[in-house]
Amino acid sequence: MTDDSGSIRERGSAALDRLVDATAAERITISLASLVFAIIVGAVLVFVSGFVADCADPFIYLPGLGYGCYNPLEVYWTMLTGSFGSMTVIGQTLLQTTLLLFTGLSVAVAFRAGLFNIGTQGQMVLGALATALVVLELAAYVPDNAIGMVIVLSTGVIVGAIVGGFWGMIPGLMKAYANAHEVITTIMLNFVAIGIAFWLVQVHVGDLTTDSVQTETVPAVARFPATISGSRFSVIALIGALLVAAGIYLLYTRTVIGYDLRTSGIQETAAEYGGVNAKRNIVTSMTLSGVLGGIAGAIYVMMVQYRWQAGIPPLGFDGIAVSILAGNNPVGVIPAALLFGSLKTGSVAVDLSLGVPGELVEVLRGLIILFIAMPEFFRMIGKRFGYGNGSVATDGGEAQ
Amino acid sequence: MNAPSLTRRQGLVIGVILFGLLTLGLIIDGGRQLISDVTGVLSVSYLTSAIRLTVPIAFAAMGGIFAEKTGVINIGLEGLLIIGAFGAVASLYALSATPIGANIWLAFVLAILASTFVALLFAIVCIEFKADQIIAGLAVWLIALGFAPFASIIIWSRTSSPSVGTFSTVSIPGLAALPSIGPLFEATPPVFLLALAVPFSWYLLNRTTFGMWIEASGEDPKSLDTAGVDVRKVRYAGVLLSGVYCGIGGAGLALNTGQFVGSGDTMIDGRGWIGLTAYLIGNYNPVGAFLASFLFAGLDALQLQLQQIAGYDVSSTLVEIIPYVAVLVVLTFVGRTRMPSAAGEHYESDE
Repeated sequence: MTDDSGSIRERGSAALDRLVDATAAERITISLASLVFAIIVGAVLVFVSGFVADCADPFIYLPGLGYGCYNPLEVYWTMLTGSFGSMTVIGQTLLQTTLLLFTGLSVAVAFRAGLFNIGTQGQMVLGALATALVVLELAAYVPDNAIGMVIVLSTGVIVGAIVGGFWGMIPGLMKAYANAHEVITTIMLNFVAIGIAFWLVQVHVGDLTTDSVQTETVPAVARFPATISGSRFSVIALIGALLVAAGIYLLYTRTVIGYDLRTSGIQETAAEYGGVNAKRNIVTSMTLSGVLGGIAGAIYVMMVQYRWQAGIPPLGFDGIAVSILAGNNPVGVIPAALLFGSLKTGSVAVDLSLGVPGELVEVLRGLIILFIAMPEFFRMIGKRFGYGNGSVATDGGEAQ
Repeated sequence: MNAPSLTRRQGLVIGVILFGLLTLGLIIDGGRQLISDVTGVLSVSYLTSAIRLTVPIAFAAMGGIFAEKTGVINIGLEGLLIIGAFGAVASLYALSATPIGANIWLAFVLAILASTFVALLFAIVCIEFKADQIIAGLAVWLIALGFAPFASIIIWSRTSSPSVGTFSTVSIPGLAALPSIGPLFEATPPVFLLALAVPFSWYLLNRTTFGMWIEASGEDPKSLDTAGVDVRKVRYAGVLLSGVYCGIGGAGLALNTGQFVGSGDTMIDGRGWIGLTAYLIGNYNPVGAFLASFLFAGLDALQLQLQQIAGYDVSSTLVEIIPYVAVLVVLTFVGRTRMPSAAGEHYESDE
């Protein structure tokens, strides 16, 4: 989209320098500070909305303003107990965490290479559909036992990975060979992916006996075995996600391939001088990112929904927040995914028991992304209170 | 910038899209019948509905041009449209409970103020706190996408509002009485605003000092600074203008239907993103952006009309993805649109 790729590369390398200079402690500080600020703004929002909403027993009366329905502290407390208070909700939290690990890693892998993949959602939706269709077919040919389950589940994950990877490869090719900005192309491809999937399921491959746009339900052999009663969470999927996180960490810190992938996106020219095929590596990074998004979709079908259904939750966008909060570090993605998993699960309890709309989490997600995008804000605050001399810098990514 | 080749390029794009539609019409079953139905549908009433659908897309597109030309990439257009639409309906709803009454123009203005306020916050974040513009713009969209249904549930206990009232149609005396094309001059106020805003924006950008500042702020902020103009102020103006335009677009859409729908992608449903693609295809020219917006809105209107009149089961989903595919084709094959060279970069004055 731009002709001045030279200056973007330079800025990218400047960002990389700053990243290297910024210590892990600084990055963690910024992430935690952003989290705190998002929670404070969220609390104000909840408190103020309490005066607009109607309720039977308000918790506060302010002269001139009327009755306030929501106590922010109670909201956050309910969010905590609603995500860790019982085995069932812990299962739900871990279930969300598993999915967010994959989408967060998907975004992080691209970010590491200086690419901003907003297309995880589309990669996930198409991967999920492919998985649902293949396992529905395959389940008829395998024995209804543990062996059959291993075959179906692994095939399902592979199919999701392939289709998601293919969908991620497209913006990679566009970026590498036509210099089309990946932010624009991945957003567009999200709409295209969701449109195609919706159309396919509605008109061709869906369960035509219902009015809802969905496929048939996958049989038991294509479902991850539940670990905790009352939840569909399967520890197998979580372990898989953690192994993938560790694998990606090792890939980027311990291998030459990982190093090449990183430099290709951030300093294409430098990488080319070093004898690396930078264009191919950009495509590889985006494909790998798509693979992880596709696996998230596969897990979603085989562990959560047990079918493909229109209106898949925005886990891909949550993944952006997870990755940015984690400083795009594959290990950092683990606590960030757990945090968002508990926010998502806790919001259900907040909605049910306090009547505060669960969309609150989406607002918090946006606020966290916003605060992390402006490290300068925290630097100024820090300066005002006399701390540091201020080269704390992170912009949520290694490149623009 | 090589003007003639750009015009050719735009012509090529539009040609490619029209040709694609024609081919589509010929290869699918009953293609000829479809084409004759399509030509039957292309009436004045079709045009008016297409123009109405153009309003939010074109306003978002022109707003995006102003912001990006000053050097601040605003990908939060979708979010600003959502704020505009929600703000209009919520204001009208709230006003009806006050002694002022349900004044639709006041609600319209309040919606524009709301969207402009969010744009101001975005500008502060980008200009004062040097935020990454892409990530901050994404955050604006995601916050609006969560906030609007959140607030809808708070106010109306569900994600969509009840009907609150719409703009009534205004006729231009004389012109509206013309035979056959008369209905084009009977429309709601946002449509007339659009008809004024396109030439106004073009004039502002290309024929005024302010337009030159905008251009310089995005292309060569250093020179602008040297010439004694505050780059920060120009950038604030550009982003605020994008807020005003998106406010008009979002409010115009909501006050045409008289309701806010907050489920899924909300009633804005990607129109801000289509606006973004429209100005890329229109290569930062308000007139080009308007034409691209009109083309996309026209496709949408065509699909709606065909379903009503001819009883076609044209998949609305597939028609909806055409703009996105079009912009992907443009970005990849037709050539790159040229961003302002300093777009996305923070400018630090030496003073």
